[in-house]
Amino acid sequence: MTTIRPGVGEPPPEIVGDGHKTTVAVSSTGLPAGKAKSMFQLGFEVFIQNRLAIVGLVVLVLAVLFCFLGPVLYPTDQVTVNLLNVNLPPGPGHPLGTDETGYDQLGRLMTGGQVSLMIGFAAAIIATIVGTIWGAIAGFFGGWLDSVMMRTVDAILSIPILFLLLFLVTIVKPSVPVMIFVLGLTAWLVPARLVRGESLTLRVREYVQAVRVMGGTSWHAVLRHIMPNVIGTVIVNATFQVADAILLIAYLGYLGLGISPPATDWGGMLSNGTAFVFTNYWWLIYPPGFAIIIVVVAVNLVGDGLRDSVEVRLQRR
Amino acid sequence: MALLEINDLSTDIQLSKSVVHALDHVSLHVDAGETLGLVGESGSGKTMTAMSIERLLPPGGHIINGEILFDGEDLVQLQEPRLREIRGSDIGMIFQDPMTSLNPVQTIGDQVAEPLMLHRGSTKRQAYKEVMEMFGLVGLPSPEQRINDYPHQLSGGQRQRVMIAMALICQPKLLIADEPTTALDVTVQKQILELVDRLRQEFRMAMILVTHDLGVIAGSADRVVVMYAGKVAEMADVHTLFAAPKHRYTDALFEALPERAAGTGERLYSIPGLPPDLVEPPPACRFAPRCRFAVDSCRAQVPPMTTITTAHGPQQFACFVPRTTPLNVPEPVDLRTIIPEVARVEAAELEAGMDLSSVDATVHADDAGPRVGAHLAPGAARGAAAGGAAARAAETPEAATASDARGWVAPTTFIPDDGVPLLQVQGAVKDFPVTAGAILRRHVGDISAVAGVTVSIPRGKTLGLVGESGCGKTTLGRLVVGLDVPTGGKILFRGRRISQLRGREAKEGRRNVQFMFQDSYASLDPRMRVRSILREPLDIQHVGSARDRNERVDELLAAVGLPARAAERYPHEFSGGQRQRIGLARALALQPGLIVADEPVSALDVSIQAQVLNLMKELQRDRELTYLFISHDLSVVRYLSDVIAVMYLGKMVEVGPAAAVYSHPQHHYTRGLIDTIPIPDPVIERQKAKLGVRGELPSAMNPPSGCRFRTRCPMAQEICAKVEPPLQPGGGSVPMPAAELAAATAAAAAAGTIPHLTACHFPINGHAAADTLVEGTVAPGGIAADGPQDVTADGAPDGGRPGGTPGPAGAGGAV
Amino acid sequence: MIGYILRRLAQSILVVLVVTIIVFILLHQLPGGAARAILGPRATAAQIADFNVQNGYNQPLFVQYFRQLGDWATGNFGFSIKLNQSVSSLLVQRMPKTIVLGLLSLALTVIVAVPLGIYQAVHRNKPFDYIATGLSFIFYAAPTFFIGLVAIEVFSQNLGWFPPEAPQSDGVGPIFAQFDAMVLPIVTLALLSIAGFSRYMRSSVLDNLDQDYVRTAQAKGASPTRVLYHHILRNAMIPIITLLGLSLPAIFAGALITESIFNFPGMGLLFWQAAQASDYPVELGVVIITAFATVAGNLLADISLAVLDPRVKL
Repeated sequence: MTTIRPGVGEPPPEIVGDGHKTTVAVSSTGLPAGKAKSMFQLGFEVFIQNRLAIVGLVVLVLAVLFCFLGPVLYPTDQVTVNLLNVNLPPGPGHPLGTDETGYDQLGRLMTGGQVSLMIGFAAAIIATIVGTIWGAIAGFFGGWLDSVMMRTVDAILSIPILFLLLFLVTIVKPSVPVMIFVLGLTAWLVPARLVRGESLTLRVREYVQAVRVMGGTSWHAVLRHIMPNVIGTVIVNATFQVADAILLIAYLGYLGLGISPPATDWGGMLSNGTAFVFTNYWWLIYPPGFAIIIVVVAVNLVGDGLRDSVEVRLQRR
Repeated sequence: MALLEINDLSTDIQLSKSVVHALDHVSLHVDAGETLGLVGESGSGKTMTAMSIERLLPPGGHIINGEILFDGEDLVQLQEPRLREIRGSDIGMIFQDPMTSLNPVQTIGDQVAEPLMLHRGSTKRQAYKEVMEMFGLVGLPSPEQRINDYPHQLSGGQRQRVMIAMALICQPKLLIADEPTTALDVTVQKQILELVDRLRQEFRMAMILVTHDLGVIAGSADRVVVMYAGKVAEMADVHTLFAAPKHRYTDALFEALPERAAGTGERLYSIPGLPPDLVEPPPACRFAPRCRFAVDSCRAQVPPMTTITTAHGPQQFACFVPRTTPLNVPEPVDLRTIIPEVARVEAAELEAGMDLSSVDATVHADDAGPRVGAHLAPGAARGAAAGGAAARAAETPEAATASDARGWVAPTTFIPDDGVPLLQVQGAVKDFPVTAGAILRRHVGDISAVAGVTVSIPRGKTLGLVGESGCGKTTLGRLVVGLDVPTGGKILFRGRRISQLRGREAKEGRRNVQFMFQDSYASLDPRMRVRSILREPLDIQHVGSARDRNERVDELLAAVGLPARAAERYPHEFSGGQRQRIGLARALALQPGLIVADEPVSALDVSIQAQVLNLMKELQRDRELTYLFISHDLSVVRYLSDVIAVMYLGKMVEVGPAAAVYSHPQHHYTRGLIDTIPIPDPVIERQKAKLGVRGELPSAMNPPSGCRFRTRCPMAQEICAKVEPPLQPGGGSVPMPAAELAAATAAAAAAGTIPHLTACHFPINGHAAADTLVEGTVAPGGIAADGPQDVTADGAPDGGRPGGTPGPAGAGGAV
Repeated sequence: MIGYILRRLAQSILVVLVVTIIVFILLHQLPGGAARAILGPRATAAQIADFNVQNGYNQPLFVQYFRQLGDWATGNFGFSIKLNQSVSSLLVQRMPKTIVLGLLSLALTVIVAVPLGIYQAVHRNKPFDYIATGLSFIFYAAPTFFIGLVAIEVFSQNLGWFPPEAPQSDGVGPIFAQFDAMVLPIVTLALLSIAGFSRYMRSSVLDNLDQDYVRTAQAKGASPTRVLYHHILRNAMIPIITLLGLSLPAIFAGALITESIFNFPGMGLLFWQAAQASDYPVELGVVIITAFATVAGNLLADISLAVLDPRVKL
């Protein structure tokens, strides 16, 4: 409604009219003065103006600092089992208490977070790369290859991803690289669908057709027009992939099929805390639970902000 | 007493960061039973005025001042429940786009019945009875079956009929029609306008007709309100306004119409610049910055509304320097004092690459010339050509439009003149397969988009291709540039088949034929700066060095009248007209011989359209360009074209020199089309009331046998269904010997044109032939059992126009 | 209509076939292959070789595949040595329970999320909208098991309103007989989808509020309520239907977690226990059945879409 389309003129007869959308003309000589901002700058400005996205970004940076720099400032022993200090409530020396094997809970939150964040980001990157290539090939070549590739995606998508993951981790023994690989290989489906869909719509855009009139090849169209226009969508989706991966790794940890001890992740910590639900050892449940929620909310906020900035770039006609 | 009276209405739209003052103290009235035309360009506030009446404003919109008296009640102050009683019952509305304005998941019966159930408390059964009657009145065929249809099952024209039925079902006192025909084809437009007019008289309604089309206004309105930038510029009865406009904006608008210069080839007057930004409108007269006649007071104070009395009634206008003579009489004293401010700024920018801010916007009229010269001095120093343009800009005010200040020597086209027609289309066929079936998609038929078209364009000329949407004109254009591959036939460029070139040759061959898209926004990659957009064709074809390419970009921008700094901007920062110039610049980049332009101006306002048309004409002259100009708008085609080709349902029905085709059409479809185009002249427009093409375009999947036009042709005979008429001079059923046809073609080619060919068994050749045929004329649709169902869409038995009464010969003489 | 359904059905069958191929490949990726999977980790090499010959696992892969496919098609999913029961009988026992759990929570989701989304859209950018959006963000980010744990701690431990464990006995009957024990599992499972659906519904209604047909309805004199329920709602529900179909895998996955928290003896719990015990035949059986159910659910969603939206090409 509020998108202003400067001087688009009366809608052409064959084009859907602009109804009661406000068409407001720009200043009389058209171009604003000064140097044009790049697309990136414009998108960045929109992102900056999105307060929630900034909050999300700050929280995310803080979380990373906490997990990776925290252990330097607050070193704890996360290897040796200490049966003397089991399940201590928060108190001096252990701000968040200790767990059932005597590890300091705050320190564990840091090391567990390292695993969760690392796997989350790495898996999202792998998933995005695999998915983009898969979707681009399907969308670009079309025909029966497209059918086969996309039916494969449909098929894997119809198997609940957690089932697939659980099955995979019963075959291979979970370690950080293995988890990254397994998660990445199951999460590429959504970006694959997305990229294919986008490239199919972009392929019929007039500016892509214009390339053919100029004598350009399909590869030129893909590199110059389709890829740059898809990339925004892909990045936005990658953000959401990070959130999903962090949650998935937590689920696996909770189901006892995550990283093997003494290493852990937030999901694994929660899993261990489950045993003590009935004994009110709240410090074993809430810190990792809230850590997951806070980080995932933050990532989603950043993703929403990115999506808005990508979209606004298109809306500012 | 006025039925509706708007006094001092001001409406604002609150945007996220600014406020658009969409309407500023608008006053007007509508008397019972009359049609008020509300006309203006986009952003003029015409739609906003219509929406303010029923308070159906877009989000953020609110009325901040004024009153709207309807039947004695002030709609601005009215409580919502009472207002809802008026909506749909006392005031009916028709919107622009019937596709989006109807609820896609409700049957049309339910939607049309809704006002009855809301306002009269009718049951569904009672309401449906009335709906059925109403569907009959609006000419919707077989209402009993249609009533349970969904909007997507209807054609565009039928959907608009449903909208009309919905607006009129409660027999309102006032009908507000907001661009009711803009989304429709011209042939359908005429039928819809006539329908609305007939029902208006039948129901004794008043109507507000909102449109940008002066032709539509001329045909339908009793009184006209001209709006500009949120204010009323001029108000008068239709005859006075079209004969003797007073406000300089109205005056300029008329001069910008292509009809005014049809056949003469004169450049159109183009109002420079763009309408003002209504976030910060100009303080005094809002048109002053673009006005050739503006004086000091125009920039100092708001012109008051002046009322004079004419033979037809009062004429009101808000202008300090009104036109002194009727439109057809030149003004005795040339009052033009200055180059419009905007044009000066544009010229200055263009020549010197200066920033807007550095241009003194308050140059006085008397010293404008020297000051402009001074501004242009740096540019002039850069090159003699630029200096020349600057001098021209200073001399003739009109020439100061940006498009005119071409500061460089146009390169000659690299295609030598060897006597071969630049483009020859020989029997081109394009079928699009249609598939159906549950599991295995089987081929069930073809959409015959182009069915054996033969035409050629002489060098340096413009072929205007016209027809309704769906006639195959765009497909033909796409075949010519190679965006689609023909199913059959040949397309020769300088005697060589483009589609048979391979590899390097094919790539080079592409250079010669370029395409200009209709939607300037969609055809420019939103993520690329203009420089990259214009460089792209050069990069692809490896033209020159990187530096050469950048220089070429600057040249191209200058050629289309855009400042050099435009290169660093993105498409969304330009207005529609400017983007279309960028599209033109891109098409020119490879120095093609032929440019196929697909509806390049149909999305533009009249004044902006004139800018682009002028530019296209100038470039053609300078660069020996050949155009294939595709448009549904006959008046634009007439202005630009040397040769006109008329297509109907994939067939070429008539082709020939523009003047001949337009003034002496031989095919009934051409004649109908010409009669259908609304002409901005109330006298002519009203005379030709009942003429034009009836019905809607049949499906191209199952085209009628023989002559494809027969199902809508008033002259159709049995032979038309059996034999396809050959395209030849003078038409007729007996094919002309090939040698004779070749001789005619050669003779015409020698004269630099093409022969006038018609594909009709009973062409309009002299009246004698036509008159004798009339006696045997079968009612339209009578023969065509397989034709569209609503050929007699008017529902009235007189839908078939009285045969033999030829309209005003060609209507062309009138413009 | 029939043609459309047939076309979608054909597509679904194709997808199921691809699923079986994938599962077949997975089966052969197992250490020791199918024999090890069926005979268990303690089988000797000789036993495995014997088994392979007996069951035709030495035959070419595609022959094996088609035989396997035949088995699956006739409901033969193998035998669980660990549970000493045929997989199909296990599935028959457990599946109805999971389906009931899933349907109940889906019903709760629709009942809560649709009105919530509409309310938020109509009263957008008001405090309630902000709060609801914030909550949906949080629940969307919260792992199901965390919600479950907190729910047990608060409503079972501290308040004692509901039992912490789901009904244990066989069959679907006890689910309704001991409904209080089902409250926490259903709510836990529904919360995540409520969060997602309400946001989707909100934006769907917002999109439709901007449409031209809404203005037409207003111009006819329809009241805001009538415009909302008579015109917007049906249009806004269309994308939700598709979403319902697409959310099935998520619901199955959620059921896996929820069942393990509340010890609900459904298919998810079966799968979890099988995964921990490396009981491959059970795992594969569950995967195929859930995939099949998902495809069927999507098909159902598409068919209801065709009923709801007249524009869907039939």
